[in-house]
Amino acid sequence: MSLFRSEDMALCQLFLQSEAAYSCVSELGELGLLQFRDLNPDVNAFQRKFVNEVRRCDEMERKLRYLEKEIRKDGIPMLDTGENPEAPQPREMIDLEATFEKLENELREVNQNAEALKRNYLELTELKHILRKTQVFFDEQEGGSSATESMTRALIPDDSIARQAAGPVQLGFVAGVILRERIPPFERMLWRACRGNVFLRQAEIETPLEDPATSDQVHKSVFIIFFQGDQLKSRVKKICEGFRATLYPCPEAPSDRREMAMGVMTRIEDLNTVLNQTQDHRHRVLAAAAKNITNWFIKVRKIKAIYHTLNLFNLDVTQKCLIAECWVPTEDLEQIQLALRRGTERSGSSVPPILNRMDTLENPPTYNKTNKFTSGFQHLVDAYGVASYREANPAPYTIITFPFLFAVMFGDLGHGILMASFAAYLVIKERTLGAKKIQSDVWNIFFGGRYIILLMGLFSMYTGMMYNDVFSKSLNIFGSNWRNNYDESTLMNSKALQLDPNSTAYFKYPYPFGLDPIWQVAENKIIFLNSYKMKISIIFGVFHMLFGVLLSLWNHVYFRDRLAIMCEFIPQIIFMCFLFLYMVLLMFIKWVNYSADTIDVKAGPYCAPSILITFINMVLFKSSKNPDVCDDWMYAGQGFLQKLLVVIALLCVPVMLLAKPIMIMRARKQHQPVLNIFLSPKLKSLIII
Amino acid sequence: MLGSFFNIDGGYLEGLCRGFKCGILKQADYLNLVQCETLEDLKLHLQGTDYGNFLANEPSPLAVSVIDDKLREKLVIEFQHMRNHAVEPLSTFLDFITYSYMIDNIILLITGTLHQRPISELIPKCHPLGSFEQMEAIHVAATPAELYNAVLVDTPLAPFFVDCISEQDLDEMNIEIIRNTLYKAYLEAFFAFCKDLGGTTAESMCEILAFEADRRAIIITINSFGTELTKDDRVKLYPKVGKLYPDGLAALARADDYEQVKAVAEYYAEYRALFEGAGNNPGEKTLEDKFFEHEVRFNIVTLPTTVF
Repeated sequence: MSLFRSEDMALCQLFLQSEAAYSCVSELGELGLLQFRDLNPDVNAFQRKFVNEVRRCDEMERKLRYLEKEIRKDGIPMLDTGENPEAPQPREMIDLEATFEKLENELREVNQNAEALKRNYLELTELKHILRKTQVFFDEQEGGSSATESMTRALIPDDSIARQAAGPVQLGFVAGVILRERIPPFERMLWRACRGNVFLRQAEIETPLEDPATSDQVHKSVFIIFFQGDQLKSRVKKICEGFRATLYPCPEAPSDRREMAMGVMTRIEDLNTVLNQTQDHRHRVLAAAAKNITNWFIKVRKIKAIYHTLNLFNLDVTQKCLIAECWVPTEDLEQIQLALRRGTERSGSSVPPILNRMDTLENPPTYNKTNKFTSGFQHLVDAYGVASYREANPAPYTIITFPFLFAVMFGDLGHGILMASFAAYLVIKERTLGAKKIQSDVWNIFFGGRYIILLMGLFSMYTGMMYNDVFSKSLNIFGSNWRNNYDESTLMNSKALQLDPNSTAYFKYPYPFGLDPIWQVAENKIIFLNSYKMKISIIFGVFHMLFGVLLSLWNHVYFRDRLAIMCEFIPQIIFMCFLFLYMVLLMFIKWVNYSADTIDVKAGPYCAPSILITFINMVLFKSSKNPDVCDDWMYAGQGFLQKLLVVIALLCVPVMLLAKPIMIMRARKQHQPVLNIFLSPKLKSLIII
Repeated sequence: MLGSFFNIDGGYLEGLCRGFKCGILKQADYLNLVQCETLEDLKLHLQGTDYGNFLANEPSPLAVSVIDDKLREKLVIEFQHMRNHAVEPLSTFLDFITYSYMIDNIILLITGTLHQRPISELIPKCHPLGSFEQMEAIHVAATPAELYNAVLVDTPLAPFFVDCISEQDLDEMNIEIIRNTLYKAYLEAFFAFCKDLGGTTAESMCEILAFEADRRAIIITINSFGTELTKDDRVKLYPKVGKLYPDGLAALARADDYEQVKAVAEYYAEYRALFEGAGNNPGEKTLEDKFFEHEVRFNIVTLPTTVF
């Protein structure tokens, strides 16, 4: 009966032999039915018994994460077969450690080599670009320096001939490559530090180059700086070093440059082949690892979980065994015994483990067994508050009431179809979608609640048909039961006409299912529909609340709490029924007794009393005033009956609040303090429904 | 009224800040850490705090420098995140906080260059919060004027440098003077900024900055005994935003030894309390320690009431 109540739990003590402990915990972990208690609460995390093993697992996980990062970098797909490997034995753990260590070392070595090669490659590529681009710069410098000539000509008119004869001044230069985004501050710094006595030319390298350390693509530019003198040279060099520009030796003569360029090209080609081979090797290593990596992750996590659990146990030094305390559902004790026996056999130990049931006064934990359908609703209910131990579980009722009440508010066939089909898609594809393990929070909310949304959609379709609402339009399936009985001229001359149900306009029997489509074109649709919707909402609400109170009765009977039945349930029922159920009754009476198609004024729409006003007057002890033509009351004796009901209901209030605490106080006159008597945990189930 | 607009710019950051504050290690954490025997134990315990798995990807065996770097990296990431989400005036406020680290970095780099250390060795030692673009080119400069013209003029520290420009070469003595002059200008600018903002910021920050100013004045005075720093030079280094301004500073300027400094502090109740019981004997707290404790107390007070 676990659907309607939480499971019966027992506190058990488990005696495990140290050798068998690991296998037994592994088997129990696969079952997932126990909750272990921490028997070493005041021990620090790093002083627990199995902390070294946990550390080794952490190390293994770190290596696996490193491998995963490298695999992802290369874009190799990681195989996820969905299988669930068991936790390996401690002996195999050493093998796993060795494998990971080897893989990690190999990968680090390959990466280091690749980095060195890439660095070399980068240098050669940059040199190649320099040799190509600086050609332009040198051409300008050598070919008569037309720029410098024009500059000097105007300033020094006298000695111009002598200057020209001496030829262009001998400028020293450095060439290098720098990141493109560093060029503006670099230029500025050069200008300021050298007081404008250096000349910078730069050209962008179009193709992005690969940074060896981070494997990012970066854009760089070639620059060349001309200066005169050694002091400026050292200053320029310092600035280049500061901005992390790499300088390359660039020969002046064009023939030397061409030779160098060719040499560089051959070296680049050689390096390329070596680099490709290194990358292939790395790819092969990673692909081999990628086949097993998800399995390894699962195994390592299981080992870690087992050791974390073992850390909760108490080591009984005298008897070389571990003691654990756990909460177990009594139904599954057999299964657990089997699992323990399997574990002992696997570890090859001779001493069987002992599962000892303990009696305790502690409140056991609430455990609700769920399947994939009910788990969504159970989570929804638990979010408001987890029920106490062995209280009636509100979740099975929530499966229907929650989507239904949602649908009463949603009520549109068209939108309901959309919602239901979206949820149906999620449900049909749940295996593939679940395996994807998407991290987005919003997605997980929708996917986890797919059954809830499916039911909400289906119920909304039903209420949509009741309200005759498809994307805010009505469907006319059976033909309206109202028709127009005005003639052409009246229709043409009037802005608004009213169809009288007493006349031929109404067929005298209602539309078979749902709301008549005529209301879609009526101006007073909203007024009419509002009254109807409010009444049925109150009717549903009152019955829902009554159901909740009846559930609390079931709880009181189960826990044999006579006091609660007398002092809580009875006054609650009286209060609810005498006030709100009476109001529901009034609604039904009004629906039955009053109608729009009678001749009697007293039973017609003019005299039909407003339930709301009646109720308010009832509670305030005011007398109803109806217009003279109509009756004051809906039935004989209503005035007196109403006064009686309100008085009795009001008398129930102090009983609800004070009766039980006073009785308990009297019963425990000498003992506990008063404060905790007033809060009853059993009221929770009432509120959840 | 102002409170209703606060959340637009400051709501997210305030929530984040409160979260960080709750994650600060408590007395119980320190008691546990004291019981650790190896660095691995430390790592294991920190996994359970707000620090989480910050050391998860470090290969064992751990070294102290690795832990130090990772802790600092965590701080820098959090600070940068807040700075990136901040708008005026919070962004300027956070920038002001980074200026003190920038000043320290500059001085570190200049000192390193003086001692002929290669720039690549010095850069990793700089505090990441105080890094700026032109940092690596500092070793170019030989005099403060050059330093300013070449490097600092583009940085936010440029206005603080106005008093330091001189043609003297950078040497040991001058570097300290530069550091203290920069810091004085920075403190005064920060103080003026906070005062302008008004409200709780002015109340809390001006207290802290005033104490910082007085503390520096006292420490400079005490450290200058027995050095070549003249009394006039000393006066130029005192920040004018503390409680000691103007009378206390004038008295400090005339002081010749530790006792006279203590006598000046007697006039100010909080500072007298700090001088009592301070000494250089083992077992006693030094003056620096007492100043540090006092400063921390200020910072604690600002936490729950800060509304920016």
